[in-house]
Amino acid sequence: MLRSRPMKHVRLLVLTQDLPRLTLALAASQCFHPDPRPPEDETLATDPSQGFCELYRLARARLDKIARLIPFALPATLEPLQAIEQDTLDRLNQWLGQLWDEVSAYEEDFRRLADEERLIQEQRAALQDFAQLNIDLKMLRSQTRFLQIHIGLVPRENLRQLADAVSLAGYLVHVYLERGEQAHVVLVGPNEPAESSLDSLLHAAGFQPLSVPEGLDRTPVELEREFTARLSSLGQERAALIEILEHWSKPLRGRLTEAERILTLAAPLADLDTAVRSRGYLSRVAGWVPASTLPNLRQHLDEILGSAYDLSVRDPRPDERPLVPTVPVKSRLLAPFAMLVQQYGIPAYGEIDPTPFFAASFLLMFGSMFGDLGQGAVIALAAFGLRRSLGRFWPFGLLAGLSSMAFGLLYGSVFGYEHLIPALWMSPLEDPLLMLSLALAWGIGFIVLACLFAIYNRLTVGDQAAAIFGQHGALNLVFYLALVAGAWQMATGQGLGVLPVGVAILSLAGLAWHSWYHQERAPLGERVLVVAIETLETLISYVSNTLSFLRVAAFSLNHVALSIAVFTLADMMGNLGSAVTIILGNLFVLILEGGIVMIQVMRLEYYEGFARYFAGTGLNFRPIRLGREPS
Amino acid sequence: MMHQLATQAYLNTRVSTLIERLMTVPQLEQWVQSPLPILVEQFGLAGLVDERLTIADRRRALEQALIHRLLADLVILSRAMHPNERVLMLDWARKYALFNLKTLIRGKLQALDRQAIHANLFELPDLIRLADDSLFGSENVLELLRRLEAGPYRQIARQAREVYEQRRDPFALEAAIDQRYLLDLVQRIQSFGEPHQTWLRRLISAELDRIALLWLLRFRITYRFSPSETYYWLVPSSRLLTRPRLLQLVNLEDLDQILDALPEPLRRLTAACGSLAEVEQRLAKQTNTEIQIVLARSPSAVARALAYLMRRELDLRCLFVLLQGRLLGFPELTVNEALAQIQPAILGH
Repeated sequence: MLRSRPMKHVRLLVLTQDLPRLTLALAASQCFHPDPRPPEDETLATDPSQGFCELYRLARARLDKIARLIPFALPATLEPLQAIEQDTLDRLNQWLGQLWDEVSAYEEDFRRLADEERLIQEQRAALQDFAQLNIDLKMLRSQTRFLQIHIGLVPRENLRQLADAVSLAGYLVHVYLERGEQAHVVLVGPNEPAESSLDSLLHAAGFQPLSVPEGLDRTPVELEREFTARLSSLGQERAALIEILEHWSKPLRGRLTEAERILTLAAPLADLDTAVRSRGYLSRVAGWVPASTLPNLRQHLDEILGSAYDLSVRDPRPDERPLVPTVPVKSRLLAPFAMLVQQYGIPAYGEIDPTPFFAASFLLMFGSMFGDLGQGAVIALAAFGLRRSLGRFWPFGLLAGLSSMAFGLLYGSVFGYEHLIPALWMSPLEDPLLMLSLALAWGIGFIVLACLFAIYNRLTVGDQAAAIFGQHGALNLVFYLALVAGAWQMATGQGLGVLPVGVAILSLAGLAWHSWYHQERAPLGERVLVVAIETLETLISYVSNTLSFLRVAAFSLNHVALSIAVFTLADMMGNLGSAVTIILGNLFVLILEGGIVMIQVMRLEYYEGFARYFAGTGLNFRPIRLGREPS
Repeated sequence: MMHQLATQAYLNTRVSTLIERLMTVPQLEQWVQSPLPILVEQFGLAGLVDERLTIADRRRALEQALIHRLLADLVILSRAMHPNERVLMLDWARKYALFNLKTLIRGKLQALDRQAIHANLFELPDLIRLADDSLFGSENVLELLRRLEAGPYRQIARQAREVYEQRRDPFALEAAIDQRYLLDLVQRIQSFGEPHQTWLRRLISAELDRIALLWLLRFRITYRFSPSETYYWLVPSSRLLTRPRLLQLVNLEDLDQILDALPEPLRRLTAACGSLAEVEQRLAKQTNTEIQIVLARSPSAVARALAYLMRRELDLRCLFVLLQGRLLGFPELTVNEALAQIQPAILGH
């Protein structure tokens, strides 16, 4: 369960004309991850799918844009499953291009209406500010013999530069309103023939002219009525446009659904991209397939291509390991834990998949640090109740809640009450030292297991030296176990002991020698310094990492202590106050402490676990498939 | 306070270590004399002599490799920075994403296909890259800019779109993109306290002065723009070519008048220049000097880091010119002239 699913490298040879049918078979099998590397055989150099990919991308982009304005039904089925030829795709792309030309005209009309509405809103807001202009407003609408007047909007960020620039042409800028990102301005200057240069300057500055409403001397109510009428007219225009679009697009919808079906069928060949190479009539496709799905792949190939293909299969070579994809965990319960693992990285092929270990250790630590039957039930019920909004993550909350409930039973704790039910084991506060000792023992077990995983991972990729001498390798593990043995002997009053001390010193010396050997190019002083610091760091880090697990016990004690504090406060109140305090206190513990415990457990998993053995440099297995299969 | 001092010390040490990578003029002069295989070995660019690749592919690989080196240095330095310092570095490096944007726009204007456009784009890290795939799907420049407005380039894209909607002119579009980039950089610097702001301003002002003077001469003398339109496209600096100075300069008509009216040391530096190319070369010298001063004297680690990146960029441009010259078999004189445009101190220029 911890190991990656074995993968095979497959190479398929087909006639170039059969490529679309081949990709259909590969997509239908849902087990083929393309290998984009060029083939070792240089004669198969050209990429026959290049034109196809280009057409597919263009057509897909066009259909997506059209779908924004013309909603159409997705195809109910992809049947008949047929290979899409380049000619078909080309014709579809051309049609979509013509259609987009027409649809984009509608889009522009909608934008124009939105701009006009915005301008009216701006005018409405500006109207009151016109009153503050200390000039005859009628003049703003008429050109005079000597003066040129422009009223409009300018992006505020361009205002200063524009004001300076127009001053060179003898113009004055008056800002009468600043609203959002726009400034409302009046530009006044000499009426001279050099107007064209001013026009280009105003365009450059993003100046939008505003028309001054007729009859500014009318009452505000009348003007407001005019604005409302104009907005209403624009609203009607928009409604009419929507209706026209609806009417115009009705006969096209069936064809758009069919276009979606064709593009879904064409997508696999586009996804193959550079994994296809050809020369003349022969094409080659390479990729990775889970070993267990090979019969399924052969079956699909036989069904669609008959015997017109050649399939060769081999194991991944050691040098190819970084390129082999890893199949993610399929279990529904483990899926949320796999998502958290992927936040750190994707397991490399051959590397131990930490998801099951992570799930088990996470639940164990969370439950022991937040053990409460009642609060655990709240977490589990909340996760179940919110399963729709939490999506695939809801089992995470459910399992965390169940774990908390299980430990609540062991501790005999229900919503902080320690004596409502008998503890199957004991309350953490009954024997804090035992709790701390157990946490330490758990930490030692966790670190030893993590080191063993690290050693295994390195041996899998054939890196024996790193498995022995590397960080958290065998020599580190020997040193750590010797350290633990010495500490145990000390704790039981037998002194450090010669054997543990001897083994610890020898293993540290081995690590120091390895470090020294690897610094051979560095000057002597630097070598001494690096080796001394690295050795000291090994010693300190193992001690501190082990002590870091004390928090597991500390939080279980903390949980009880917080509950006691809540009940002490409740006891100081009357009946109602007491009930309110207990409810709010439980909420406080649930949200605040629950959150902190979650963070602390994640910290232990990431820093004390993953950092030790998990490189996370893998590739996710992404088989080509026929889009989202219609349900 | 202690934490700030420690971060400054760490970043300063990082910069000082990286400064060792910068080229000296004698080194550059020595490499000018070296044949291609030695240069390739020296700089670890084996792909340049791969006979299976076309010259265009090798040139592109070279360009890409050099940009990656610069951005790798940026990543190293930014690890030791505070968030606002890191943002400044990324803002500066965004010019490469804007080169890509301009390439995309030109490609769309000329109706080039995806591959032809793609062949001319820089491959950039996710932090600064444009969402190329979604942009490629746009059918024209307006649609491209509208899509870009949905991302971190919102400001630049919006201004560029407004300009393009008003006048369908690629020049105005690119000028708007460049102008917004520089203004954003100036604005970002204003968020820094002392002594960082003074030194960052000094550094950026050197660059702004150079760009403003070149654009001024180009727009006013070559393109014959009106004073007001010329001024609109310029970005004033806070040191030499300030706002009042630019307002005065754009009213002048010819090269000599403009150069005569420049403040010191620009006037002395550009004295007797007969062409724009000559002015450009002398300005490059001034910018180099300012970068050196910031690198050597600035107490602000972030200013030194930015100065290092600017200087490193110049070095890599020199290297590109040199290797490209060798690759295309250009005469030594041509290569030297091109190098002198970037590094005027070379070969006694």
